[in-house]
Amino acid sequence: MTPLIQLSSVGKTLTGQGRPRTILAGVDLTVHSGDSVAILGRSGSGKSTLLSLIGLLDRPDSGQYLLNGRDVTRLPERKAAALRSAEFGFVFQRFFLLNHLTAAQNVAMALVNGQGWLSRRKRRARVLAALERVGIAHLARHKPPRLSGGEQQRVAIARALVREPRVLLADEPTGALDTETGSMVIDTLLSATAQGCALILVTHDGDHAKRMGRVLRLEGGVLHSAADR
Amino acid sequence: MIAFSGGLRSALLIGGQGIRARKLRTLLSMLSLFLGVLAVVVVQAAAETGRRATLGYSELAIGKDGTLQMYVVPHEAGFPIILDTLRGRADAIAITMTQAIIGESGVRPINPGGGPIDTANSGSGPAPEAGFVVCDSRGICRPGPDPAEGSAPPGRAIELRLTAMTGDIRQFKPFRVESGQWLDFDSAPSLAPRIVLNKEAAKGFARHQVPARMRIAGAIADPTPQLIGVVDDGMFEPAAYVRADELLNWMPEGKLGALAFNGGLQMLLSPEATDVERILRARLLAIGMTEDQIHTEPIRSRHAVEQQLLILQWIFLGLASLVLLIGVAGILNVGLATVGERVEEFALRRAVGTPRSLLAGIVLVETMLTGLFTAGLAIGVGALVLTYGGRFLDAWLPYGWDLEFPWQAGAAGVVAGLTAGLLGGLVPAIRAARIPIAAVMRA
Repeated sequence: MTPLIQLSSVGKTLTGQGRPRTILAGVDLTVHSGDSVAILGRSGSGKSTLLSLIGLLDRPDSGQYLLNGRDVTRLPERKAAALRSAEFGFVFQRFFLLNHLTAAQNVAMALVNGQGWLSRRKRRARVLAALERVGIAHLARHKPPRLSGGEQQRVAIARALVREPRVLLADEPTGALDTETGSMVIDTLLSATAQGCALILVTHDGDHAKRMGRVLRLEGGVLHSAADR
Repeated sequence: MIAFSGGLRSALLIGGQGIRARKLRTLLSMLSLFLGVLAVVVVQAAAETGRRATLGYSELAIGKDGTLQMYVVPHEAGFPIILDTLRGRADAIAITMTQAIIGESGVRPINPGGGPIDTANSGSGPAPEAGFVVCDSRGICRPGPDPAEGSAPPGRAIELRLTAMTGDIRQFKPFRVESGQWLDFDSAPSLAPRIVLNKEAAKGFARHQVPARMRIAGAIADPTPQLIGVVDDGMFEPAAYVRADELLNWMPEGKLGALAFNGGLQMLLSPEATDVERILRARLLAIGMTEDQIHTEPIRSRHAVEQQLLILQWIFLGLASLVLLIGVAGILNVGLATVGERVEEFALRRAVGTPRSLLAGIVLVETMLTGLFTAGLAIGVGALVLTYGGRFLDAWLPYGWDLEFPWQAGAAGVVAGLTAGLLGGLVPAIRAARIPIAAVMRA
C-alpha cells in the first residue's frame, strides 16, 4: 500500500538574523492512512518546523517528500495551497480563531478559501456537521471570547476537520489547556483516525503521546523511535 | 471560470466580514477619501451641466448638430424657386430675415435698429462709410434708420428682427414656448400675419403699448399682426417669427427674397434631405446664380463646444485628482496598519489553503468596497445639493441650465472611488500576499 506520507532524508536550515541553523538533518518518516504518530522533542528541536514541512506550509532544503506517492518537495505555491486545502487539517496550540467571527464562521473559513465554492446551505450543513463531530454544535453562534479554552480548541479542530482531510497535523494542541480538557481534545483528534485520517501530534506531554499508535522523538535534527531510548 | 468565480465570491465574503469587523477604520478611510471623490463628482457634474447648457444654447442660436445650412445671396428670382422646391417638404425649410417696426408710423422706435429693449437709445448714430447703423451698449451694430427717420420724433414703436419661415423651424432650433402658442403651419394662411415674439420683444411689448401695425420695407401695405405667443430663442435682441406665406399676402415673393439682409436667404435641411440641396443648387444655378452665391455647410456646434469644455474638464479633473490622492494615501495608511494587525489571520488563511492571490484580493476588495461606499456617499451628497440647490436657483438660472444630477457624474464618482480603493489597497495587498506563513505559525 502506498504510504500517505513519505519523507526521505529531509533537511531544513533556518536563516534568520544570526548564522544559519540546521533544524532538520535527514528526517525519514513514513505515515499511512489511519496512523496516529506522536512527535516528542525539546523546545527548539524542530518539531513545528517538521510539521510545517509535512503540511506544505514550508519547503525542505534537501531530501524528498512524497504525498500519497506524488513528489511534492518542490511544489509551486498555488498547488501547495490547493493540497493544503484538500489533504491537511491544522490544529495549533494558540487556536488561531478570529474573534470577530462566530464559531461557525471560523469553521467555515476552511471552506471559503478560493478552492471551489459551496452554496451557503451546503456550507452551513458541513460546518454544523463538523461542530457536531466535536460536540459543540450548540455553540455555533458564539464568538471565541465567549468560549472556554477547550471549546475554542474544539472549534479549531472542527475547522481542521470540516474539509475531511486525510492528514491531521496538531502542534501542541493541549499546550494551553488543563489536563482534563487536554485529554478530551486528544479524544476528539483520535476519533478522526478511526475514519482513516492520519494524525501527527507534536506534544511535550508523554501521557498524550502514549495514546498514539507510534511515538517518535526529534533529536539533533533526526527522528528516532521513542522505544529506541 | 469556476475557480475565478469561487475566488471572487470568497474575496467578497471575507472582505465584507473584514469591513464589518473594522467599521471605525473603514469610516476613517472613507473620511479621508470623501473630499477627493466629491471633488471628482462635482467637477463631472459641473462639466456635464455646463455642456448641456452650452449645447442647449448652441442648438437654439445655431441649430441642431448635423443640420445642413444653405445660404443664398438675395435674388429676386431665387426666392420663388426656393419656395417651389421646398413646398410640401417637412425636412427642409427656408427662412429669411428682415427688420420690421411695429407701432406708430413716422416715429423713431424706442429701440432704433432693433437693439435690446433695456439698452434702447444707446449709442445710435451714423457710421462714416457704411450708411447708417445703430450700435447698442455692447458694441453690436445693425443697419439703422435713415437720416430722415433718425430725426423723427420718438414714438410708440418697437423695431425687431422678423424671421419668415416656410416651415417649422423648431425641428432645427428647439425654441421653448414660454406662453401662448407656436405657429401652426398646417392651417390656412391668415391675412393678418400671426407672429410669435421672442422674450426680449415680449418685454418691449409688455412695457410699451404700441398700435398693432407692422411696417416692413417692400410691403404693399402695413399689415395688422396677431401676437399669438412668446418663445425663448436664446437671442438677446427683439425678434419675431412669422409664416412666410402669411407675409406673402403683403409683399411679392421676389421682394421678400430680395429684401432679406443679414445673411440673405437661409435654408435649413435635415441631414437626410440631401436631395433637396442637390435640386435647389441645380435650379438656382439654372437661373444664373453662381456657385459662390450658394454656400452650404453642416452645423458642427457640438464638436466645437465639447472640445472647449473637455479641456476645462480635464484641468479641473486634474485638480480633483490631487485631492483624491490624499484620500488614496489615507487608504494606504489604514490598509498597511490593518494588514500589520492581521498577520496571524492571513497566515491562518494560507494554512487552510487560501492562495496568495486571494489574500491580495481580500485586501483589494476591502479597500475597493470602501472606495465604493465613499463614492455612494459623495454621489448622494452631490445629488442632494444639486437637486435642492437647483430648486432655489431655478429662477436665476439662464435657459438650458437644467440642474439635474447627471449620470456621468455618478459614474465618475464610482470610477474615482474604485480607482482610489485599488491604488490605496495595492501595497497592503502585496504585503498581505507575502506574509511568511510558517514563520507566523511558529511564533
